[in-house]
Amino acid sequence: MARRLPTYPAGTVRALLGTRDVTPATRKVLEERLAAPPRERPEFFDAHAFATLRALCTRLLALDEDPIAVDVAGAIDERLAKGDGDGWRYASLPPDGECYVRALAALDATSTERHGRAFVELNHDEQMDVIERVRLGAEGWPFDSRRFFEEVLAESCERFYSHPLAYDEIGFAGFADAHGWQALGLGVLAPREPRSR
Amino acid sequence: MTYALDDAVDAVVIGTGAGGAPLLARLASAGLRVVALEAGRHHDPQKEFATDEVAQSFLFWKDERLSGGREPLSFGRNNSGIGVGGSTVHFTAYVPRPQPDDFRLRTETGEGVDWPIAYEDLAPYFDELEIFLGVSGPSPYPWGPPRPPYPLEPLPLNAPAELMERGCKALGMKTSPAPNAALSGSYFTEGVGWRSACKGSGYCQAGCNSGAKASMDVTYVKLALARGADLRPECYVRAFETNGSNEIIAVVYETRGELRRQRCRAVFLCAGAIESPRLLLLNRLANKSGQVGRNFMAHVGTQVWGVFDEEVRPSKGIPGALISEDTHRVKGLLGGYLLQSLGVMPVTYASQLARTTQVWGRALRDTMRLYNHTAGINILGECFPSADNRVELSDELDARGVRKPHVFFSLGEHERRLAAHAEKTMQDIWHAAGARETWVFRRNAHIIGTCRMGDDPRMSVVGADCHSHDVRNLWVVDNSVFPSALAVNPALTIMALSLRAADLFLAGSS
Repeated sequence: MARRLPTYPAGTVRALLGTRDVTPATRKVLEERLAAPPRERPEFFDAHAFATLRALCTRLLALDEDPIAVDVAGAIDERLAKGDGDGWRYASLPPDGECYVRALAALDATSTERHGRAFVELNHDEQMDVIERVRLGAEGWPFDSRRFFEEVLAESCERFYSHPLAYDEIGFAGFADAHGWQALGLGVLAPREPRSR
Repeated sequence: MTYALDDAVDAVVIGTGAGGAPLLARLASAGLRVVALEAGRHHDPQKEFATDEVAQSFLFWKDERLSGGREPLSFGRNNSGIGVGGSTVHFTAYVPRPQPDDFRLRTETGEGVDWPIAYEDLAPYFDELEIFLGVSGPSPYPWGPPRPPYPLEPLPLNAPAELMERGCKALGMKTSPAPNAALSGSYFTEGVGWRSACKGSGYCQAGCNSGAKASMDVTYVKLALARGADLRPECYVRAFETNGSNEIIAVVYETRGELRRQRCRAVFLCAGAIESPRLLLLNRLANKSGQVGRNFMAHVGTQVWGVFDEEVRPSKGIPGALISEDTHRVKGLLGGYLLQSLGVMPVTYASQLARTTQVWGRALRDTMRLYNHTAGINILGECFPSADNRVELSDELDARGVRKPHVFFSLGEHERRLAAHAEKTMQDIWHAAGARETWVFRRNAHIIGTCRMGDDPRMSVVGADCHSHDVRNLWVVDNSVFPSALAVNPALTIMALSLRAADLFLAGSS
């Protein structure tokens, strides 16, 4: 289906952060996220697994097609190093850290089987092919690859779409609520909300 | 007020959510010496709460649960809170009342169970709660029995509500602004003080930073503190000490790495439908019936999302602004469901879109660019009790060294048929409203059951007054005592049960 996709101006979030429409608590969180440097070295993963994860996240969110500097893989490494979780996991999957490590090794095995090289060495189309296998259920995995696909995609999504640069892409200004929202109805925008070009 | 550990206080209340907080205030107001043990922190929403989903994840219960069965349930932000106020700190404030027939499902359908109490037993408490919390809602309310007017006008409709209204109107379905426990005007309550009106941030599920939402921390806990309750945050209950005659004499809890032991005369367990049965199972308590952990339920909570040409900006305004109960009973289904319009914050939306549709790469980025044009409808549908749906203890230990809960959940035939019916209804509404495309999120919400109330001690854990059949001075008061799920959001009913349990306790001990 042909879609008309809105396109929003860049820089809206940074501009709003300089106003009183953002509460101090919110400003602190978003400015820290904007300023966070990409993770140079992993704490939880080894170098190869981390490179594999980074390549996987890049494909899952098309991060190289129009570059947005959000370090999704770094955030996952940071979470696992801290031992944080979200309160539940599928009983059919091992604990999060072990799940990621074994899944990334299995991703390489699937890559090698289908294209003769590790995931990070594959070209764009080959990586897309391997990910689609994982999504649909790849053979030889230590657990259901479809569940892992769901988990890594959801976590990547949460990291990416909580970033101010991603807010700019989708035209989101809901964080600028220090004075609330009076313009609530259908098609009604407050002056501070970004418009599609 | 602070009580000494070796002082046998009148009651220890475990948990400060919708189950624990109202009775805590009630008992303290009656002059009882009460201690509340809360696993999480006591936050200052105005200073601490950011309008940010990820930063606010400290509101969710994060000790890991294992989720199994054919329809494994997600926990954490879906339904489980930690901190003073419990899950009400991140609830959407939706507070419709159950209807009288919800309590007599067995009589009506021949399946499920009847409650040992009737709507009329809770009605005076609903009246009281709506005034105390400051519920904003329509008067008269179009469905169910007559009731007093809500104390405040409904909150304004946001764009998803306007769209659902448009679709329903085209189909001849009745809608109404929904009752929400968030203030449409500033409001004074004795013992609580003034609270200001809702600003329409739409971040209810990430915590309200203005106090407009009637979460327990800014209402009943505040009242309880004013009436002398001893509130102890960051206290995680580990064990109960009993004497030879089926009586708890002390509650053992962990705080900052130390174990403490609070002597007491009564215990109110209000930790929710996973942690309450878990504590009982870990301590081999109150389970002569073998029913602890059984009959775990989760509402059918299917959502259908529509994409529209108009600007929606779905994070703005109270998320559930519109309701319809026209489907409370549907010919050919057992039980029924309510419909609510739904706004959404971006991270929650992206995450569930990804999990459900599995769209990824460029296509995911493109779909998310339609976020500002997206609106949702959600249902809350009856879930029948089943002994196979349950909470057990896993052999795996969590970070505290406690056995993790393992939850099994599978839909039965009734729930599947209800979900299919609701999905079609919501699709019809969105198409009638002019949606360009839609997608369906099949989910289950709320955690209910596992310590059910009943008159027969062989088939239930507590009686109609929430008093344990087995342990002389133990009460369980939260969503775990529901015998059936009710086709309605549970918070208001949990609070009503809490006030009622406190009144019966006070009547019995005087």
